[in-house]
Order: sequence, then structure tokens, then C-alpha cells
Amino acid sequence: RRGRDGMRRDMKGLLSLSNAVPSSLLEELLRAQLYPEAPPEEFRALRAKMGGLLQSIASADMDLNQLEAFLTAQTKKQGGITSDQAAVIAKFWKSHRTQIHESLINQSRWDNVLKNMNWRVDLKSQLRHIDQINTPVAIVEMELGKNGQESEFLCLEFDEAKVSQMLKKLSEIEESMTSLTQTP
Amino acid sequence: GRGTRLRERGLSLGARRLALIAPNEDGSGAADKIRLIPQDFFAELCEQIIQHLNHKIPGINTAELCQRIQTSGVDINIGDLAKIANTLSFLFSTAARNNLSTEELVTTLGSGVSTLPKHAVQVIRHVWNEQGKAIAASEDARDVAAVGQFVDMKWKLGVAMSSDTCRSLKYPYVTVTLTVADPSGQITDKSFEMTIPQFKVCSECYLNVQSPKNNSAIVVRVS
Repeated sequence: RRGRDGMRRDMKGLLSLSNAVPSSLLEELLRAQLYPEAPPEEFRALRAKMGGLLQSIASADMDLNQLEAFLTAQTKKQGGITSDQAAVIAKFWKSHRTQIHESLINQSRWDNVLKNMNWRVDLKSQLRHIDQINTPVAIVEMELGKNGQESEFLCLEFDEAKVSQMLKKLSEIEESMTSLTQTP
Repeated sequence: GRGTRLRERGLSLGARRLALIAPNEDGSGAADKIRLIPQDFFAELCEQIIQHLNHKIPGINTAELCQRIQTSGVDINIGDLAKIANTLSFLFSTAARNNLSTEELVTTLGSGVSTLPKHAVQVIRHVWNEQGKAIAASEDARDVAAVGQFVDMKWKLGVAMSSDTCRSLKYPYVTVTLTVADPSGQITDKSFEMTIPQFKVCSECYLNVQSPKNNSAIVVRVS
């Protein structure tokens, strides 16, 4: 019983490594809490094994079938895992899969991304003429930036024609996206 | 360089606007009316203008203020007061955009309009000193002087398949290149990526711009 709970906590520990604490010390903390009787090398080996398995599962973004096949194979291996450990790993992956996958996606985005958008519509009055013509003008502000770097603000003016032009392009993209998701 | 030219243009525009509210054909003008407004009412007007620029109040209550000024015995109509408010608003926002210090603002006032009464200059100096920076701060993340014109947009849709940290990424994303003309006329390209959810939010933004559900600005958090 204690083994299972310990494993679950260990998995969480693996994935929420604090940047401030060196991982070797964190490892020592985990060992002291969960497996105080185990010698450090044994704990280190267990941790490395679990870490490696999780890495493979996350890298392949395994679905439930793949996961089951993979874990079953691991329990049958020489020096593999117990069926208890397999169960804990499976439960962990099921609850954290989306989060981990999104995190991996974010790690691979190195160019500018769109972080935020503001907009407003102004009525531009032309003061030069006696009859004031009110033309609507949209001001759109886009916050762009790379992961972990300071943002750049791009502020653009659009008249009605330009808004239509933009919307036309956006619907072209939408069409392409639809055909992408429909292709087997 | 370009920054200085923009500043000077903005400043002289502001000063000229103040001059514009001076004499009508019959020799009277809003500038004359400024000197009629008692100092404390003028201060109140400037306060309201600054608060409006800081997005703290939705508008300047010209009618109410005009009423109180008239009650105090000053002959001013609402049209004149509105003109004065408009001009001061333009002046303050231009000064904010150009990050003017109090002294720079006062110098500009001096050079543009000689008819501005001394007590008005004092009020403007005081109000700007106290609250001018707040406007600059609320605008500073956006360099409003650098509003560009949208020229064109190119796009491509891709799917990230795998990476060094993940062999099975499989996420679609859109890369967009915006062609933009900056205020000086220079054309530049700006590229960025969006995931599908971000793209959807972006689309909705422009749909709202075209037919707003309400008339106020909307902040949309994309990620």
C-alpha cells in the first residue's frame, strides 16, 4: 500500500522539479521521505527507470492501447516493473497527458507567438472640412513575443476595406484547417 | 532622427490647436474665455481631462461644469468650454505620447500661444506634474505614435510532427506574416505563429471589429 502511494508521490515529484533546488538534492529529499530504508543508489535507479518510462510514453504521446501494450511489455521484462508500478504509471499518464503534451508543444515554439490582442473602433473626424465625415477606423494591438522574452506590441490601423481583406484571409486559413483535420 | 521629428510634429500640432481656439472674426474666441474661467474651475476641468485619458472616467462632464461656472457669474457657453476641453485633451495626450517633462510642456505652451493666462499655465504645470506620468505609463506598453497601417497578410498552415523532446508532437499551427507600413512610410514584415485555439480567438476578434457586439474595446487573452 505504502509502495503505491509512494510511487504516485514520486511521479509527481519527477514532474514538478523546482528550478531553485538542484535535482540531486531534490532526489535525496524524495528518497528520505518515501524510501528512508533504501540505499541512495537503489532509489536513484528506481527514479531513473520511472523517468525513462515516462519519457518514452510522453514522447510517443501514447494513447490507452499503446500505453497498455507498452506497460505490459515492461512488466514481463527482466529487471522491469511490477504490475503495481504499471498501474500507478498508467493512472498518472491518464490524468496528466494533456498537460504534459501541451508543455512539450510550448517547448518547441521558438518563434514569435501571438500572446494577446486588443482592439477598438474609433470614429475619425476630418476637421479640415466643414462637414465632418465620420469614418470608422479599427485599431488592433497585437502582443507578440517569444517564449520567456519581453513582448513587442504591434499596433495597426484598419479601415473597413482592410478589415474585410483580413477576414477573407482568415477564412481561407479556416478552410485549409478544416480540410487538414478531415484528411485521414 | 525619426523619433525627434515625430515629437516636434506632435508638439507643434498641439500648440497650433491651442492657437486655433483663439480669435473668431469678431475678435472674441475661446482663448479669451480661458482667461475668464476661475482657476479652481480650470483645475477641475484639467483633472477631469487627465482622468478621462487615464480611462478612469468615461467622459468629461462639460454641461455640469459649464452650469457651475455660469452660476459663479462667468459668461461662458458650453460650446466654448467643449472647444477648450477638446484642445486640452489633445495637448495632454500628445504630451503623454511624446513623454514630455513638465518643463518641456510648459515651454511648448509658451511658444505656441501668447494669450494663455498665467494661472492657466500654472494649473497645467501642476496637473501634468502630478498626473502626467500616469497617462504615459498607461500608454507606454503601446507606442501609440507608432500605429502602423495594415498592408497585406500572408499565411501558411503547417503541422509540427516531432522534435528533439517529443517524437509525436502532431500539432497544426498557422504562421502569419503581416506587411505593415509604419508612420514614416517604411514597409516591414512581422511574422508570428498561432495554434488553432489562438487562431480562433484572433478570428473572433476581427469579426467583432467588423460588427461589434458592443462599442467598447475588448481585451482578448489569446494564450
